[in-house]
Amino acid sequence: MGNLLEVKDLKVDFNVEGRTVHAVENVNLRIGMQETVVLAGESGSGKTITALAMTRILPSNASIVSGEVFLEGKDVLKMDERSLALVRGAKIAYIFQEPASYLNPVYTIGEQIIEVIMFHQGLRRAQARDQALTLLSQVRISDAQRVLASYPHQLSGGMNQRVFIAMSLACKPALLIADEPTTSLDVTIEAQILKLLVELKEQIGFSLLFITHNLAIARKIASRIYVMHRGRVVEQGLTQQIFEAPKHFHTRELISAYEKIGRL
Amino acid sequence: MKNPYLFWGLAIIVLFSCAALCAPWISPHDPSFIDSQNLLMPPSAQHPLGTDGLGRDLLSRMIYGSRISLSVGIIAVGISILLGLVLGSCAGFYGRLADTLIMRFADVMLCFPTFFLILAVIAMVEPSIYNIMIVIGLTSWMGPARLIRGEILSLKEREFIQAERAIGASDARIIIRHLIPNAVGPVLVNATLGIAGAILLESSLSFLGLGVQPPIPSWGNILIESKSTLGIAWWITVFPGLAILITILGFNFIAEGLKKIIG
Repeated sequence: MGNLLEVKDLKVDFNVEGRTVHAVENVNLRIGMQETVVLAGESGSGKTITALAMTRILPSNASIVSGEVFLEGKDVLKMDERSLALVRGAKIAYIFQEPASYLNPVYTIGEQIIEVIMFHQGLRRAQARDQALTLLSQVRISDAQRVLASYPHQLSGGMNQRVFIAMSLACKPALLIADEPTTSLDVTIEAQILKLLVELKEQIGFSLLFITHNLAIARKIASRIYVMHRGRVVEQGLTQQIFEAPKHFHTRELISAYEKIGRL
Repeated sequence: MKNPYLFWGLAIIVLFSCAALCAPWISPHDPSFIDSQNLLMPPSAQHPLGTDGLGRDLLSRMIYGSRISLSVGIIAVGISILLGLVLGSCAGFYGRLADTLIMRFADVMLCFPTFFLILAVIAMVEPSIYNIMIVIGLTSWMGPARLIRGEILSLKEREFIQAERAIGASDARIIIRHLIPNAVGPVLVNATLGIAGAILLESSLSFLGLGVQPPIPSWGNILIESKSTLGIAWWITVFPGLAILITILGFNFIAEGLKKIIG
């Protein structure tokens, strides 16, 4: 299977009040075409920073010290802003943990989706609106007309996450990075969103990098898992391997944590 | 009533703006017609607010004067808000050197008392209505710029801005489409207060004879002409003064009402 994305020796530092903190060190990972990969680890282990570094949308006090991120053979970290703008959204799209705060509060859902479609596909407003409706029905929103006219605060968390997924898919990305997309949702909605993501992936055929601390989810959807701990990848392998014979103590911790919850 | 401040503020300003717009039709007399038979007449049926020292109808002069005062206020603030938006959002968004340069320049501008800065400029250029609008605009952008910078600084760290960046939006697009609309609330409040300030400033300048030049009437220069006859003709001082007071009150009410809506 050909690689869509390959990260080599990525190193990211943070500048915290004059001190340098190594957030990500020597991370290597690859994502194949149409593959689902899970990046697991506890809070603060560098999962999100690794994901944000892939399109260089890190916070302003973070800097990429070294490494390469090859997307379809080209190094993203060496691109200028113009070619980078063509990668963001169009090649690599993100969905995040708190969908409501990732939507602009002063515009309706419709205005935001239509803007993204017009911007990325150069369509007219009327056509973009039609496509927005199609996208919303693709993410299983039944009353799309009403949702288009709503503001983010008028919708539930699960609804906003569906909207955000629709917006990310508007640009037909090759890779969708889902950063804990279900952590803020309740369990039934979480299951629905996961099912939706898996179905959409089959339908449309993008690759999925799923970031989570919940190995139960990883077991359900991933073909391969990377486990991060304190900024490093401490274990990687096929999902089955990881669950049957975890090598690193942190992986065992994560697995036992989820087994404990399972027993409750 | 849910928002009496906004209601009364808007009522006052709409009324005054309509009067200004319809000046030629609602003025009882020609504002510059000199009637030497009727000098310093107190308010009467023919001249509802009396006449001035040249026998000109005070009500008509005030209606025409409101055109000058209101448009100076609005255009001067328009200029200062525009400058403030551009400079403030650049400073807030780009930070570092741009921020230092722009905000230190604003600090320097704030060090000069605005009034003397304006006097100095007016001393060099001709004191026409347009110059006064521009000068007031150019010397009052610092407040809005600071306000916008502060808003942008906190907004740019918000998640939806990161999301915009993640879908490939350019800096200009993020600033214009996403940051400024979110920052516009406090700016609007500031602008309404600014209009009141600009009207007061124009009146003061005209009062000193450096503002709008006679025979064009503005509230400020009607006041200065009343100075010499203050003892015998109170109405020429009181009515323009009241007009300025009520207009500024109106704009302050609107600002207060907007503050309540924006929260």
